[in-house]
Amino acid sequence: MENNNLLKVENFSISYRTRKGDVEAVNDVSFELKKGETLAIVGESGCGKSSLARGLIRLFPRNIKKVEGKIILEGRDVLSLDEETFRKEVRWREMSMVFQGAMNSLNPVLKVVFQVAEPLMVHFGTDRETAFSRAKEVLSLVGISSSFAERYPFELSGGMKQRVVIAMALITNPKLLLLDEPTSALDIITQENIMNLLKMLKKELNLTYIFITHDIALTSELADRMAVMYAGEIVEISPVEDFYKNPSHVYTKLLLDSVPTLREDKDLKSIPGSPPSLIDPPSGCRFHPRCPLAMDICRVKTPPFYKIKEGHFARCYLNEGK
Amino acid sequence: MNNELLRVEELKVWFDIKKGLFAKPMYVKAVDGVNFTLNTGESISLVGESGSGKTTLGKTILRLYKPTSGKIIFDGKDISDSDLKDIKWYRRETGLVQQDPFGALPPHFTIYRVLEEPLIIHNIGNKSERRDMIYQALEEVRLTPVEDFAPKYPHMLSGGQMQRVVIARALIMRPKLVVADEPVSMLDASVRVEILELLKGIQDRHKTSLIYITHDLATVRMFTHWIFIMYAGEIVERALTKELLSNPLHPYTNALLNAIPDPNPENRNIIKEVPPGEPPDLVNPPPGCRFAPRCSQVKDICSRERPKEIEIRNKHWVRCWLYS
Repeated sequence: MENNNLLKVENFSISYRTRKGDVEAVNDVSFELKKGETLAIVGESGCGKSSLARGLIRLFPRNIKKVEGKIILEGRDVLSLDEETFRKEVRWREMSMVFQGAMNSLNPVLKVVFQVAEPLMVHFGTDRETAFSRAKEVLSLVGISSSFAERYPFELSGGMKQRVVIAMALITNPKLLLLDEPTSALDIITQENIMNLLKMLKKELNLTYIFITHDIALTSELADRMAVMYAGEIVEISPVEDFYKNPSHVYTKLLLDSVPTLREDKDLKSIPGSPPSLIDPPSGCRFHPRCPLAMDICRVKTPPFYKIKEGHFARCYLNEGK
Repeated sequence: MNNELLRVEELKVWFDIKKGLFAKPMYVKAVDGVNFTLNTGESISLVGESGSGKTTLGKTILRLYKPTSGKIIFDGKDISDSDLKDIKWYRRETGLVQQDPFGALPPHFTIYRVLEEPLIIHNIGNKSERRDMIYQALEEVRLTPVEDFAPKYPHMLSGGQMQRVVIARALIMRPKLVVADEPVSMLDASVRVEILELLKGIQDRHKTSLIYITHDLATVRMFTHWIFIMYAGEIVERALTKELLSNPLHPYTNALLNAIPDPNPENRNIIKEVPPGEPPDLVNPPPGCRFAPRCSQVKDICSRERPKEIEIRNKHWVRCWLYS
């Protein structure tokens, strides 16, 4: 393995047990991530992108049925570690996460500086004073002055709370940061402010991001590579330039056609139908019931990954023989 | 003009937040001095950040809130001060599409019953006429075959289908004016376009006037005739869509347009210029221009005096000292 690979995910699958049957939320997902690189994962709601992120940091819900595959972080399979070791050595030390809507989960009765310092005291046993001064450093790095550090969450605006949540994820100096819809529920200008912050942090701290969102236009602000998820599977993974110039899965093309743009005239199209139930997903290619170009083989056999070029793979039969 | 449907003059909506009997009166100035007119069959996008007062303005126009001062004139009749019982007719002439379809439909009503409710309230038709109207409405929002959808309950539908029911309900009375408050913000990107096109199609066919409230400027292009930009309770700029997008004047409009990401991979190498800070507190808004504290082109007068709305060229109004 090359030594600049930070993360390698192999055949990762997650399923949940529900009353109606087992839900295959993530199915056979594999990808690699280099140090300092940003991978954006896009897809409609319910496609398993949040399940994937929570799975990588091993926060499973109670009704988890099966977890399979390998998550190799710097040469070590962290999925096979026992929970105690993972908690002590990996979670928040090696990788942190900014959860979706986390800014609304700040503890209302604790000052923000305490909440940012807490991971340091819990994971590293740092004493309170050192942890607090480090927390103030990180807060100022994300653009919150020390006068605001002593305040309570209700005194902060949405954008500032989001900055606090990012500070919380950064305080332990993780190498990998999972961002699950870090700007949803924020206004457009605030969103742009947060994106600027994430870009700056990436440069200064050489961070590696996995950026999960449903907003395709927004991924262009951060992503080096794109993974498109549909019904629990990655259907296309490519460098970001190829994602726009040469989308090779029908779903990716249709998804791009549905993105409204401000500065460019284009006919918007929508994708007919809705994503399938993951309890009993369609046979063959999971997109075939909605695909305008579906062929007979798509209905019966799951397509393999076709290599379009170095680093660009798509799971669609239309690439056969190209 | 004789096809003017709605005229709004100096509309103010202040919410009383006085605490205690003898405390100083305090108001949230959610809408503070709004003027515009809307013709039959035309549509407006009301764009602004959360807390800019766009929803309050929309709901006040429907008289779901009572204006503090100013006038709302609908079809030549002043309805700004009327008692609610005197404007039952107004409910027939207007419709609302809510933001959250999951919360807008009563869970224990079938789709048929949801759509029949307004007809019953307004005493329209007999049973079989109502049935025809309901089926026709369902067909119009393309929930077909209608016989399958009518007896279903809301939880049996997807988000996009629920939003279609909400649209059908808003339109079943053939209103002259519809307010759609963020009708697609809760839906997946792939469904959004479909719902917006549906709304636009119905609006064109029936010459309905539409006020489309949104925070997402990227969806308004090609969708409405007008764009109004709201900031902190004021309309800071309004013009025809094409004119506003190609010729934005107010610094806030420019900032807003600038902040919208285009799907272009080059973006990741650029740090964009974004106005610092947050929108002001509407209890105590800045005395002059409300955008002045965040504006990059601020002048002395901006923080002292409130700029007036001026028509800078044909049908393009702006409220900014740079242009007066």
